[in-house]
Amino acid sequence: MTTRDLVLVALFTAIIVVLGLIPPITLGFIPVPITAQSMGVMLAGCIIGAKRGALAYVLFVLLVAAGLPVLSGGRGGLAIIQGPTGGFILGWIVATYVTGLIAERLVKDGQNEIRQFAAFFIASVVGGIVVLYAIGMPWVSMTTGAPLTDVATGSLAFIPGDLLKAAIAALAARAVLIGYPLLPHRA
Amino acid sequence: MLNGLNVEGSTPLHRMSVRTKLAILLVLGVALYFFSSLFVLVPAFVLAAGIYFTTGLTVRDGLSRLKPVLFTIVILLIATAYLASIREATEAFFRLMALVLFAGAVTATTTTGDFIDEITRLLQPLDRLGLVRAADVGLAFGLVLRFVPDIFNHYQAIREAHRARGLKVRPLTILAPLIILTLKDADTIAMAIDARGFRRPRSDRNR
Repeated sequence: MTTRDLVLVALFTAIIVVLGLIPPITLGFIPVPITAQSMGVMLAGCIIGAKRGALAYVLFVLLVAAGLPVLSGGRGGLAIIQGPTGGFILGWIVATYVTGLIAERLVKDGQNEIRQFAAFFIASVVGGIVVLYAIGMPWVSMTTGAPLTDVATGSLAFIPGDLLKAAIAALAARAVLIGYPLLPHRA
Repeated sequence: MLNGLNVEGSTPLHRMSVRTKLAILLVLGVALYFFSSLFVLVPAFVLAAGIYFTTGLTVRDGLSRLKPVLFTIVILLIATAYLASIREATEAFFRLMALVLFAGAVTATTTTGDFIDEITRLLQPLDRLGLVRAADVGLAFGLVLRFVPDIFNHYQAIREAHRARGLKVRPLTILAPLIILTLKDADTIAMAIDARGFRRPRSDRNR
């Protein structure tokens, strides 16, 4: 890994921290408020790729574990990782890696706007939603004793918001790809 | 902006090595799931609460830190009590709270610096195998802490620019400029790090 890659990883981790400081927005038609930080997985994978994106999240999880209040709402510490939603926090690393892998495979230079958007959107949905929930939900079920099927049903409430986040992340990722392309230079 | 959650003190937990604390937490995290008897889980909870509130945290601070986790746990366990059984929910409550309290105690008694030092030491075997550079963890950590205030300033500047033009502050119009503005400095920062020789090239590889 070059020094530049290391710096990109650290800067992206810092961006994820800052996204947690931005006040969450509520949309009328979605029950859960949207925190900018929860788009971090999709953004990291789509913008700096699989390896660097996953490393940015390894670093972020280390910040959480080290007791820095870097999660949105000023949360942090090992207690959050031990709690029922800890699976989502650890799942971020894998989710970012998968998002990055798909984005690296599907997005190419010279594709038209819509194809690039679609590719980023698919990567964000598969990595940032499917993979993340596949890790997070069994953890909730295991720690609380609630049956997995019921946890899955309950999680459906978050899906509309997540799809919207995937769309925003895909648009932002495409804008960054045009303005300052980093994805093609793989780590 | 980014103060650690540790409190100063000299309790046994403060003096214990970070490695031991993390090992106990890990063992506890696995072991407590093998017990479903309240005769084990309630004492574990009481013990963890005892440790948590004797780390030097004030009661108010200690409780306010627990609030977000407690909120999630209570919501999920009300659902569990309804879907599975009240007994299971009670067991899960004491088990989770014991773990959360002990983890909170570890966080309260460990400084960020000590934690990173320990991670660096734990990575040494992998460093010798040439898989990672252990010293990079500390460097990356320092970079994050250094740049969070800067990036937050970028965010505020972009927000002000939106307001000046009468635009609504939306995530979509904030994210792209924020990310580009931040990442385009990567080359300069990397050059500065290399110019100071912080990452010595290893003679045995990376040539």
